[in-house]
Amino acid sequence: MKTLHLEVKDMHCSNCAMKLQALEDDLPGVTTVDASYHTQRMKVVYDETVVTPESIMDAVQKLGYTPDLS
Amino acid sequence: MLSLWVAFITGLTTGGLSCMAVQGGLLASSLANQIEKEVGGPGTKTKQKKSPKIALPITLFLTAKLIAYTLMGALLGALGSVLQVTPTMRAILQFLIAIFMIGNALRMLNVHPIFRYFSFEPPASVTRFIRKKAKNKTSLFTPIFLGALTILIPCGITQSMMAGAIATGSPLLGAALMFAFTLGTSPVFFILSYFATKLGSLLEKQLVRVVAVVLLVLGLLSIDTGLNLLGSPYSITKLLQTNTQPKVAEMLPVESQSANVITLNVVNSGYQPNVLQAPADTELTLNLITKNTNSCSRAFLIPELNISELLDQTGTKSVLIPAQPAGKKIAFTCSMGMYTGEIVFN
Repeated sequence: MKTLHLEVKDMHCSNCAMKLQALEDDLPGVTTVDASYHTQRMKVVYDETVVTPESIMDAVQKLGYTPDLS
Repeated sequence: MLSLWVAFITGLTTGGLSCMAVQGGLLASSLANQIEKEVGGPGTKTKQKKSPKIALPITLFLTAKLIAYTLMGALLGALGSVLQVTPTMRAILQFLIAIFMIGNALRMLNVHPIFRYFSFEPPASVTRFIRKKAKNKTSLFTPIFLGALTILIPCGITQSMMAGAIATGSPLLGAALMFAFTLGTSPVFFILSYFATKLGSLLEKQLVRVVAVVLLVLGLLSIDTGLNLLGSPYSITKLLQTNTQPKVAEMLPVESQSANVITLNVVNSGYQPNVLQAPADTELTLNLITKNTNSCSRAFLIPELNISELLDQTGTKSVLIPAQPAGKKIAFTCSMGMYTGEIVFN
């Protein structure tokens, strides 16, 4: 298991954080997502044998957000 | 206090849209299967094909939401009644609500990152739990359950209404306020539910400024209410009154007015006249006359003198006013800070 910390500066309400958290269910290999609108950050715990940081960032982008490695 | 009509209209307009942005995804995802089955997938014509099979779960969702928020309003009102002792405390609460609303408005307008903390962020465990429930699309119990669960993810405007429910200081009024507001949001929810999840984020982005402005206005309204409850001579309500109404109004015939008796007509739209002239340096009797009065003007307050009377719908109540020096002005208001006026001693 690995952890990826991302900065997502375009979360504009708590609902955005919830949408990002749903990646837990939607992206295989992602076990937990803690996204916070308050801090504009998200922490992703993932299985590196199943998913890559790049594909996690892609998935975040597909949801309409711009992730940055922090 | 925010009147029930204001709550309803707020719900019907910005509240509905703002809540839809936050909670709509939840409803739509729980209904997605049925919507697809009944009206076809995205991109197909949805008009004229509204099936009762979709209407039913949406109605259940909204009914559950309405009941949950009404109960919550009652609880918040009860909480307010425990907290609320004096008009001063209520005024302070109004100011806190105002700070909350204005903070939320500034957050939406992206003024500074610090304002993000005005938004309630449910813990990840709560959102995870709700999400898991939303995936279970098999029974009608799901929309009911999810409708009730929306109280865990209130939108900014709903949160402001909840603060308003505390300020009512009454379980009944709190419940009524949340009922009116949530009922107002229902048509928007019902109509927009047909347009799946994407609309949520779209609306949120486009209407965020409108919602912010409404919150700002509600925040200022709340400050105004607080000022009135404190008996302050400076409030927007008073300013408007001075500009739009005759200063010393003999708007209704005042009967049998002797030197030491002044009369105030308490009507549904406030107090007439709203500026009472009274002799200085003498104790006065203030007669409060109601006639089929049903509005909150019946809950009469003179904050400075600690006078608080709940008047009968029809009748006369006499209140003793101690002697006041010439030039003194004493403000009176309804307990909600909506209707105001003053007694001028000379």
